[in-house]
Amino acid sequence: MKRRHIIGVLTILVLAAFWYLATGPLALISPGRFPSPLDVWDALRQVSIKGYANGLLYQHVLQSLQLVALGFAVAIATGVPLGLLMGWNRRAEALINPVFSIIRPIPPLAWIPLAILWLGLGDAAKVLVIWFAAFVPSVINSFTGVRRIEPYVIEAARMLGTKRYRFLQEVLIPAAAPSIFTGMRLSLQASWTTLVAAELVGALYGLGRILNVAQQDIYPGMIFVGMACVAFLGWLTTWLLAEIETRSLPWIQLGRV
Amino acid sequence: MAVIHFDGVQKTFGHKGNGFVALDRIDLKIADKEFIAIVGPSGCGKTTCLRMVAGFEFPTAGTVNVDGRQVTGPGPDRAVVFQQFALFPWKSVADNIALGLRNKGIGKTERGKRVADAVKLMGLEGYEAAYPHQLSGGMQQRVAIARAYVLEPDVLLMDEPFGALDAQTRTTMQEELVRITRRNPRTVLFITHAVEEAVYLADRVVIMTRRPGRIKEVIDIHSVREAEKWSEHERIEDVMDLESFIHWRTHIWRSLREEKSDQDQ
Amino acid sequence: MSTSSSPLRTSETIAYGAAGIVLFFGIWSGLSWFGIVPRQFLPTPYEVVAKAVQLLSTPFAGGTLQEHLLSSVLRFAYGFLLGAVIGIPLGLMMGWYRLLDEIVSPIFDALRFIAPIAWVPFAALWFGTGIGGPILIIFAGAFPPCLINAYRGARFVNRSLIEAAQMLGTGNTRIILEVLLPASLASIVAGLRVSAGIGWQSLIGAELIVASTGVGFMMVQAQLNISTPIVMSAMLAIGLVGLFIDIALRWLEATVRRRGLA
Repeated sequence: MKRRHIIGVLTILVLAAFWYLATGPLALISPGRFPSPLDVWDALRQVSIKGYANGLLYQHVLQSLQLVALGFAVAIATGVPLGLLMGWNRRAEALINPVFSIIRPIPPLAWIPLAILWLGLGDAAKVLVIWFAAFVPSVINSFTGVRRIEPYVIEAARMLGTKRYRFLQEVLIPAAAPSIFTGMRLSLQASWTTLVAAELVGALYGLGRILNVAQQDIYPGMIFVGMACVAFLGWLTTWLLAEIETRSLPWIQLGRV
Repeated sequence: MAVIHFDGVQKTFGHKGNGFVALDRIDLKIADKEFIAIVGPSGCGKTTCLRMVAGFEFPTAGTVNVDGRQVTGPGPDRAVVFQQFALFPWKSVADNIALGLRNKGIGKTERGKRVADAVKLMGLEGYEAAYPHQLSGGMQQRVAIARAYVLEPDVLLMDEPFGALDAQTRTTMQEELVRITRRNPRTVLFITHAVEEAVYLADRVVIMTRRPGRIKEVIDIHSVREAEKWSEHERIEDVMDLESFIHWRTHIWRSLREEKSDQDQ
Repeated sequence: MSTSSSPLRTSETIAYGAAGIVLFFGIWSGLSWFGIVPRQFLPTPYEVVAKAVQLLSTPFAGGTLQEHLLSSVLRFAYGFLLGAVIGIPLGLMMGWYRLLDEIVSPIFDALRFIAPIAWVPFAALWFGTGIGGPILIIFAGAFPPCLINAYRGARFVNRSLIEAAQMLGTGNTRIILEVLLPASLASIVAGLRVSAGIGWQSLIGAELIVASTGVGFMMVQAQLNISTPIVMSAMLAIGLVGLFIDIALRWLEATVRRRGLA
């Protein structure tokens, strides 16, 4: 493992050096196409201190985070119960599945124009689309989570006389938990993707807005900053989710993703 | 000259604080065309010994030499027959057998001939185009043996090869192995849990202690077999009925039991 | 307690399913027909289908529905194939050559969290409205699953198969082609399916922003013109194509599994 880290760090350093040289002294890449490390630094300072696209960096980040958090939360709150219900109750599944199957293939991003038509260019449209994007994986994975429970677990619970609410809390949900978390991971990924897209299409604030304006201004340094922020926040939220998962499911041994 | 030579071999697994000694000190010389069986309690390191000759593991101290050269990695000169067969599920029987020959760069015609010979040797006629999942365990192991034999290896390494088979298939395979090694003798290193199997097949039986593994005793079965004329009996059950067989089998059992009785499991 | 464990009879499944669909379309039609939601925002299902049919012969925003779809599908195909052709071999090699894995992994992990759509500004900067832009974005989406699944497939091959191959004196290239690849096939095909889904979605996203043809572009134009029926027809078309691609890959997955490649 140690060797792996060393080589990893070396690779990054070599790339960083190449980046610096290629955009600087060796002039292999023109500044109009890709920013130099210095350009990125300048852009970062600008957006953090002076502001860009009508706001400071932390304001944009907060805006984006808010929307993702809201959309994600509502999606989990609606999707997981629905998925569990469909997994547990065959009638519910039979009722909902056909409709779900019709709507499912439509990529969440394809809802953006419709959402804008319905709700305008504001936050509501974005949350709607994020909700939809995060909703689908939650439902599917919660559903699978229930279906995958081995019959003998349920039989054992029944034999022990476990009733409704306790059954839900102490058997069904823990058993389906790993799948539910997988679904949440996918939902989170989908949330970020959709958010960035929605903000690129039309927004007043947010990371996507930074990217949009930077593109129009032909400001590669700022584009880079925007993308790096998106990547970082994506990674951070995913890591947070993984931590929550590990704490909540101590009986599971998680492998590396 | 010894073909396989374990010289002061030790093997430790794991890191400094956290490791365990699998093999304490192994000194063993195996002669050309000798059939050696290693028996011992679980975890005694017998498989590790085989894997070191195969080149999948390396000793932490001492050397393992084959034909005077130290073992540096796996190769077709030391063919392995695995307990779980390790056949390639996507290749037919013929292709499985042929892979080693292709790696050696042997041409198509010669290859076809050798594969056909191996198929005939192992009684696999008619199954050349079949896939592993279509075959029984016994058949699959025959393919694995054919695959090893076709390489004409100096050493044949068999790691509990019949362990995954049912009792009847097992006996059939033991008889097969005797038949093949009689026709086509090789140096064989054979790992097993089954004492009877070891006594039936081997020239010498090496008994190992429990972990950390050491050689407890080496029994010369060959001289007993010659003296008592075991080979005159066709069937295993007849051989296993002989007093001399039972004597040595029980001796080895008792020796192993001493190792087990102090063990927790 | 509920009777979940017992599957429904086929007749029941169909009945409930039909009920669900009827309910769905009924409510939709009702909301639209009775003006509870303004027609402008929610056309009836019939209007959407009629519009879709109309778009097959009447061009909108530069082309008929099929023409736009063709543009989109072609872009998707290029990006997706590029992602597979680079991702799968690279993944297999990374699964085999440790050094390669150690070098590429940190780069890959760093880039992985960038939503494909975030590449749009650079894509626009480098390729303008040319085809390179959308292809870059599709590639950014399609590449990771192909790589990851090939890598995982190769890394988790049964150890004794690898040892057997080494014992037989198999060279590295042959091990990758004749052992790792067949052993990873199931994983690779599963990755292709995920990859196609993300790729198709990334394409649509890209077309919403930097395209002058294609179904996504068509949708944006319709939105700007406040033609909700066209927007919904486009959504329908997009969904159908996406579904078709998914079904095709599922079929491939099932075939690979059926061929008993264990």
